[in-house]
Amino acid sequence: MMIGKKNIDESDNHSHDHAHSHLPSDPELRVKAVETLLLNKGLIDSKTLDELIDTYENRIGPKNGAKVVAKAWVDPVYKKRLLNDATSAIRELSYQGRQGENMVVVENTPETHNVIVCTLCSCYPWPVLGIPPTWYKSDEYRSRTVREPRKVLLEFGLSLDPKVQIKVWDSTAEIRYLVLPMRPKGTENMDESELSELVTRNSMIGTGLPKEIK
Amino acid sequence: MSRLHDMGGRFGDGSIPVPRDTDNEVTNSEPTFKYEWHAKAWAITLAAGALGEWNLDISRHYRECLPPKDYINFSYYEKWLAALTNLLIDKKLVSLDELKEYVSAAKNGTLTKFSDKDIKLDERTWLAKDVQKTLGWGGPSIRDTNVNPVFDIGDKVITQNHSPNKDFNGGHTRLPKYAMGRVGIIHSYNNNHVFPDKNAHGLGENPLPLYTVEFKSSELWGELAESQNDSILLDLWEPYLKLLPN
Repeated sequence: MMIGKKNIDESDNHSHDHAHSHLPSDPELRVKAVETLLLNKGLIDSKTLDELIDTYENRIGPKNGAKVVAKAWVDPVYKKRLLNDATSAIRELSYQGRQGENMVVVENTPETHNVIVCTLCSCYPWPVLGIPPTWYKSDEYRSRTVREPRKVLLEFGLSLDPKVQIKVWDSTAEIRYLVLPMRPKGTENMDESELSELVTRNSMIGTGLPKEIK
Repeated sequence: MSRLHDMGGRFGDGSIPVPRDTDNEVTNSEPTFKYEWHAKAWAITLAAGALGEWNLDISRHYRECLPPKDYINFSYYEKWLAALTNLLIDKKLVSLDELKEYVSAAKNGTLTKFSDKDIKLDERTWLAKDVQKTLGWGGPSIRDTNVNPVFDIGDKVITQNHSPNKDFNGGHTRLPKYAMGRVGIIHSYNNNHVFPDKNAHGLGENPLPLYTVEFKSSELWGELAESQNDSILLDLWEPYLKLLPN
């Protein structure tokens, strides 16, 4: 008798009324088959795939969001615009479009801490944060953050005073949220570009804070 | 659909897979895509979506319609690829025979990409030169309509209890289970947006008022709520809500 995976027929793992059940079990091979088929049929172009991947690996990511946050920290008028109409204020920095068509920025204060989640799928503000990290898409984060945000934040090393109100924003529609974290103490003499280096991705999701000044 | 995707509040999930560096500090810098096939599954889904044969709500619905066993067993990008495959077949962009042929070539190691000169691009195909422009436009879901919102900010509302989708039993909806039949307060009105419960089933966009509704943690979780102060805010379309006396 064979031991392990090999003695499981692929048909054991799939229901056969779906086209996807015909795909090979190795995901890499599965993608390769579908990709090659679409390329050869001229339905997708390999240069487009390269451009897409390069864009989100190298150009669109949390550095964009960090610039938005730093600008709001140094410019109260911009901050007001950002909290009133985030989509337009973010567009001023040329960040816009796919998965950021309707932006809302929520501000952390000494009384309120905001956390973003998408329990139904993986909605995330691409133009300012890029593609979501694995943990954001995980079942654990999606299931637990709405019910026990304080325990979840502790796992990120973030312990909040019980008096601080937590607001969890579940992205159930096409509005995309960005947290405006509080400016760290002791940064009064830093300029916008230095400040943007302190803004971590997690601080803009609400699962972290900006870096402290040592 | 199974509603397995609707996991907010579920019990049984373990620790968040928080990435840590060699000093065991939480790190903010993982690669965008862990494996090349993740990047490819993601990119071909976007590129095939640009052919215009389905909308965002339909593609979400297809992921949610994966058989429960597969939904549970598949990793994130495996779900994307499986849903894409089913869409390609259902929308007749690819035939089942073609798929089987490429799958068997992949298994035999005989998969061959044609040379560029032998590929005739479809007129709908998304070209690299248009990528930045199209990403910049995005796909806004706000629609100008003459529909006025029924609720005011501060109104007390209760969400639908069972099966919010009125057209299809078990159909697509964006009202999570954990917030069904619960009382909340209208926090804001966000204009009129394409209604996923219809759009996911090809019944048209039917833009309707979208509100952000605030629920007290104790309203959703009772005695399990971590704090009486905390709240959860969801973006909900008007048909999910009914007015209660304040």
